[in-house]
Amino acid sequence: MASETILELKHITKRFGKLVANDDISFKLKRGTVHAIIGENGAGKSTLMNILTDIYKADSGDIYLNGEKVIFKDPMDACKHGIGMVYQEFMLFNSLTVLENIIMGFEKKKRGLIDTRANRKAVEEICNKYGFVLPLDACVKDLPVSLLQQVEIVKILYRGAEILILDEPTSILTPQGIEGLFKAIRFLVQSGKTVIFITHKLKEVLAIADAITVLRNGKLIADIRPEDANEEKLANLMVGRDVLLRVKKEEKKIGNPVLSVKNLSVKDSDGNVRVKDVNFEVRAGEIVGIAGVANSGQKELIESLYGLCIPEKGAEIYLEEKEITHFSCRERRCSGIGYVPQDRLHDGVNSGAELWESAIMGYHIAHGFKNSVMLDYDDINMFSKKIIEEYAVKTPNQHAIVGTLSGGNIQKLIVGREFSQENRLLIIEDPTRGIDIGAIEFIWKKIISLAASGVGILLVSHELNEVMELSDHILVMYNGKLYDGGHSGELTEEKIGYLMMGGAHDA
Amino acid sequence: MMRDKRWSRDHIAEITKYALSFAAVMLIGAVLIGIQGENPVTAIAAIFQGSLGSGKAIGNSIRWSIPCVLSGISAAVAFKSGVNNLGIEGQMYCGALCAAMVGYMIHLPAGIHVAVSILAGAVAGLLYALIPALMRMFLKINEMVVTLMMNYIAVLATEYITIRLISLSAVANPLSVETPVIDESAALPVLLAGTKANAGIFIAVLTVVVIAWVYKYTIKGYELKQVGENPHFSKIGGINVKKTFASIFLISGFIGGMCGAVEVTGAYKKFTASFAGTLGWDGIMIARIAKNKPFAVLVVSFLWGILKAGSLQMERVTNINRLTVTLIQAIFVLFITVDYEKVFELFSSRKKKRVAVEGGKAHV
Repeated sequence: MASETILELKHITKRFGKLVANDDISFKLKRGTVHAIIGENGAGKSTLMNILTDIYKADSGDIYLNGEKVIFKDPMDACKHGIGMVYQEFMLFNSLTVLENIIMGFEKKKRGLIDTRANRKAVEEICNKYGFVLPLDACVKDLPVSLLQQVEIVKILYRGAEILILDEPTSILTPQGIEGLFKAIRFLVQSGKTVIFITHKLKEVLAIADAITVLRNGKLIADIRPEDANEEKLANLMVGRDVLLRVKKEEKKIGNPVLSVKNLSVKDSDGNVRVKDVNFEVRAGEIVGIAGVANSGQKELIESLYGLCIPEKGAEIYLEEKEITHFSCRERRCSGIGYVPQDRLHDGVNSGAELWESAIMGYHIAHGFKNSVMLDYDDINMFSKKIIEEYAVKTPNQHAIVGTLSGGNIQKLIVGREFSQENRLLIIEDPTRGIDIGAIEFIWKKIISLAASGVGILLVSHELNEVMELSDHILVMYNGKLYDGGHSGELTEEKIGYLMMGGAHDA
Repeated sequence: MMRDKRWSRDHIAEITKYALSFAAVMLIGAVLIGIQGENPVTAIAAIFQGSLGSGKAIGNSIRWSIPCVLSGISAAVAFKSGVNNLGIEGQMYCGALCAAMVGYMIHLPAGIHVAVSILAGAVAGLLYALIPALMRMFLKINEMVVTLMMNYIAVLATEYITIRLISLSAVANPLSVETPVIDESAALPVLLAGTKANAGIFIAVLTVVVIAWVYKYTIKGYELKQVGENPHFSKIGGINVKKTFASIFLISGFIGGMCGAVEVTGAYKKFTASFAGTLGWDGIMIARIAKNKPFAVLVVSFLWGILKAGSLQMERVTNINRLTVTLIQAIFVLFITVDYEKVFELFSSRKKKRVAVEGGKAHV
């Protein structure tokens, strides 16, 4: 019988320049358990896991596997020792089949050629043993995300993983999908595998973990058992102060429609209809939240509302009284539409340039500068400083390179930029993806106070919790159509989850 | 505070990089010269003598700096905004021929004539750049291949037009197909008597200053920079990316055409087929070394001009082919294009790994 402790980290320290990402971290991992590692973004979770999988080398400290000290040569070596990781962003080749993706790099060969039959048999065995049902010959790009996650898990099992590291695995799943994942995790653990579960969602930690390690600012803050913890306690440990992710909504007046959408259909670049005959309104002062599983058509909906793609004939989009269906981005911006894009590094800022250059984007056209030819550096500095102060962007000054800021601070910068212009409608997409609790709370409060000041807000988020907490009116997107999710508090999370899975169809 | 520290570190790294590259290139150059049976010291002395050794030599350096500055800034403007205009050579040829035609066919008062001539050349370059710009805008055809191919078209088409202009029978020497000499009134004034250093240098420097000013102080310049660095972000921010992209192409072509026109009105006084050699490519190399920064283009171009003028002298006094200098220039570009930080990381991580593995063995 192997020892009970499969993996032990002793005094792991990792520095990046002056920043101590992992400060003397030690913990033990018991065989056949689910060990949750929680912490805010920047707490050192990812660094620790990257050390475990040998993407990074620790500055000091040792790793003991089955009681023996190990030093990995490279990530492949870590993999051979039975440590496998499922990343938040899937590492799959879209145009290859499931089977090809699973065996990639670890093919069984016969006379130098890939032995397809042996590979298939091996993968099928794993699927049967751990209860996964995968369409091995289907092309990866045709599968839904929940299945892709299973493909990733089978892939690392195929590679002989004994310890599976799952990095934020639930962020892309519906409540029902999370149930399924948890079932799979429990099954894996019963069959003797060990799972490290990285997350910042406290409810899930309490539901699945056998042991919890809390990291904060690179330090190990606590090792506790779920029996001794509750959500509030964990949140306090993570943040170091009292934070409860509930926002209080004030009484406010809902006005006339700011955005009216009629008969909107949108095709994607491949000619598939992704938005199907959608009608809805956003009123002044109202927060309309659109929930939905990723890829239900949210992207195309937003792009057509913001002028990034052209809707099908017959669609009508009105900003207040004015029809804007065929306006360009620039014209929409000038008419008073702001947009917080989902992909903040790619679409939200110019990450290689100085902060002020990202801060004035859009403002320089629509709302700022008396002079339309010359850059007004006084105005630029004033506006940039205003955002930095009001939105608590942590930066030395407005000349810092944007890419050196943390994700949360970049998001605050973008939100600050869009919220500081006199917009009448804001389209906000996943405003809190991958940022820490402190920043989430801050941004949520700003959204609410902005709505209270009479701006119409369309919030599209893949975090159901976010939509439910913030929205006055909830819409659910499924397969290109919008379904009414009722007013705030009308439907439970389960009911909305059911709609997200296409429940309205069956009813 | 933090920013200053980071900056100074980056600066030192950058300077070290250029210094080391230069030293390495000098070494390679010495070997290349040695192979050709000459003393490297003599050769380098000849380069400096030919470029800075006398008033005439300095004049030559200035003369060669002019096209370098113009083609360099033409390339830098394009690359800075993400336009891969490799067609500067073609735009130069169009500009040069047009300037020569205006120079000898039309007769205008002095001063006006030269201005019209250069402007005509610049517009010709712009129009020639319009073709790939439109193809890119409306047909989404990658401009890199198109501009590259259009260089050949321009070189041959200008030669063909020149033959038609002067009639085939007039071509005495098929190796030098050329237009008649331009009017005196269409020539740029010479700065140093006995050399070809001409007032084109003022046009070149002024162009650089204007471009730098546009980037630093105008909203248009801000938009041009953002479009080059992140087109998605710019589009979402409300910038008309397509239009900006096309306008950059035209500006780059305009300067390219102007470069050809200044060569004709300043140095050659006529259009000769295939006159420009590698000038268009020099511009691309210069922009690369200068990292598309306008004033750095100016500095690098002067260095280029010195090397060009010097290499001619070197060829005269030694047996070394002047292409050696071109070769050395290209190697220099290669050296500074390397991302040394990455190379350094690679080596240091390997070293660490080796230490780690050995340490591991010791424990076992």
